[in-house]
Amino acid sequence: MSSSDSGGLMSSAGLVRYFDAEDRNAITMDPRSVVAFGAMFGVLVLVLNAL
Amino acid sequence: MSWKDTAEPLLTRMPSVERPDRHVPFKRKLAWTAGVLVLYFFLTNVFLFGLERGAGSDAFGRFRSILAGGQGTIVHLGIGPIVTGSIVLQLLGGANLLGLDTQNNPRDQVLYQGLQKLLVITMVILTGVPMVFAGNFLPASESLSQTFPGGAFGVNMLMFGQVFVGGVLILYMDEVISKWGVGSGVGLFIIAGVSQRLIGGLIAIEPLPGGTIGVIPAYIRMALGDLPASAPNLFFGFQSPSGQISGILAIITTILIFVIVVYAESVRVEIPLSHARVKGARGRFPVKLIYASVLPMILVRALQQNIQFIGQLLNSQSSLPAWVGQYSDGQPISGLFYYLAPIQSRRDWMWFVDNPMGNPEVWQILLRVAVDLTFMVAGGAIFAIFWVETTDMGPEATAQQIQNSGMQIPGFRQNPGVLEKVLERYIPQVTVIGGALVGLLAVGANMLGTIGGVSGTGLLLTVSITYKLYEEIAEEQLMEMHPMMRQMFG
Repeated sequence: MSSSDSGGLMSSAGLVRYFDAEDRNAITMDPRSVVAFGAMFGVLVLVLNAL
Repeated sequence: MSWKDTAEPLLTRMPSVERPDRHVPFKRKLAWTAGVLVLYFFLTNVFLFGLERGAGSDAFGRFRSILAGGQGTIVHLGIGPIVTGSIVLQLLGGANLLGLDTQNNPRDQVLYQGLQKLLVITMVILTGVPMVFAGNFLPASESLSQTFPGGAFGVNMLMFGQVFVGGVLILYMDEVISKWGVGSGVGLFIIAGVSQRLIGGLIAIEPLPGGTIGVIPAYIRMALGDLPASAPNLFFGFQSPSGQISGILAIITTILIFVIVVYAESVRVEIPLSHARVKGARGRFPVKLIYASVLPMILVRALQQNIQFIGQLLNSQSSLPAWVGQYSDGQPISGLFYYLAPIQSRRDWMWFVDNPMGNPEVWQILLRVAVDLTFMVAGGAIFAIFWVETTDMGPEATAQQIQNSGMQIPGFRQNPGVLEKVLERYIPQVTVIGGALVGLLAVGANMLGTIGGVSGTGLLLTVSITYKLYEEIAEEQLMEMHPMMRQMFG
């Protein structure tokens, strides 16, 4: 049913809300770099712990 | 000049994750979700560099099951900062102090997103600093402090850096899932943690972090005569030498909560709609009983958790007057902080089974139960109202959405004002009842205990998030089917 659709994207059960609108000034990141950074950071701390 | 103009240059520049420029196929969405989930589980197993392992108490305590993350790991803060930031935003929005029209104005939407991110990052710092530097939550490693430049302070700085990066990572992982995956990161992390504990509470042979051992191995050992099996032990559960054992009561409560939430998901008031121009196009707008109320519950719990955290922090700094709080093993045993501490398990109040000595006394226990109930029922209702207002699910916003889609209530004039009047008869009432009901359920589940020591709120959140996820996946698959069906019919 279309009546409950709003303009903005409402993620299910999201405490954080994201909308379609984006500012031109905003710095955007590739989602792959977020995941890659997270994985690398985890490995780095693991290595530091093992030393 | 309003605050918006002043803050705009900062808020519009908050880094964000790219939005997909075309439709993401369902399989790709699942892959993103699974990938982030694997990363999350990996991070919950990476302990902070410079931490004295095994020492220190978990500042989140029993709240850990809803706040996700892992004690002493990179993601030590879990979704705590997101939740606390959200509380601030809800209160500001609920009191209408923000003046942002997130429904119609794209600039306000951008500002809202930026403000949200800024608040979460502020909360990462505000909760991370006392975790690392005050109290005995994350003690610095002794051996490293002797060789590291700056001594213990230097090690603490290093740990804070890791906690900070972990907190921010959780925020961006949530964003990746919200934009590229299914559901939301916050929801996923909650159900991941709670499900893990539920399964653990069923089959774990070794004690889990909360000290519980699995129901199935425990019952087998009871049958073998390895553990004492008496009727009260079996029904209420008990503290055995090898760990905490859940009773049959906990199993019944867990199943009951599942059934009630799934049933309540389908309880709704339906408002009939018809299209203004297309005759015969009809629909219904559902006002769901607990649509808006389970998530605000986490905010109420987080508020309680923050109060307890302040108590622990004060206690670790100086000895408190008796009326404020007396602590034993990091848990308040009397005073104000005792009464404000939510009931976390059956042992917190069932004096007639566990506590015949009368310490704390029965009236103290009853007062604590009453405070917790009032807090959760009233808090649940209030935060549900704020939630509905700030997420554009209130009568006014909904009326406008229905109007924009060209629908009207049959028999009424097509006018957003009229629609709003009708919706005002249902939405606020249903929201308040739903919020109070969820609060009552959460306290009830905690009082009776659950499998694996997942809190009532954790269980409520998990069941309703999973249900919503299921609905979203079903919708997603319908959308995927569409082009195929079009091909089939030429």
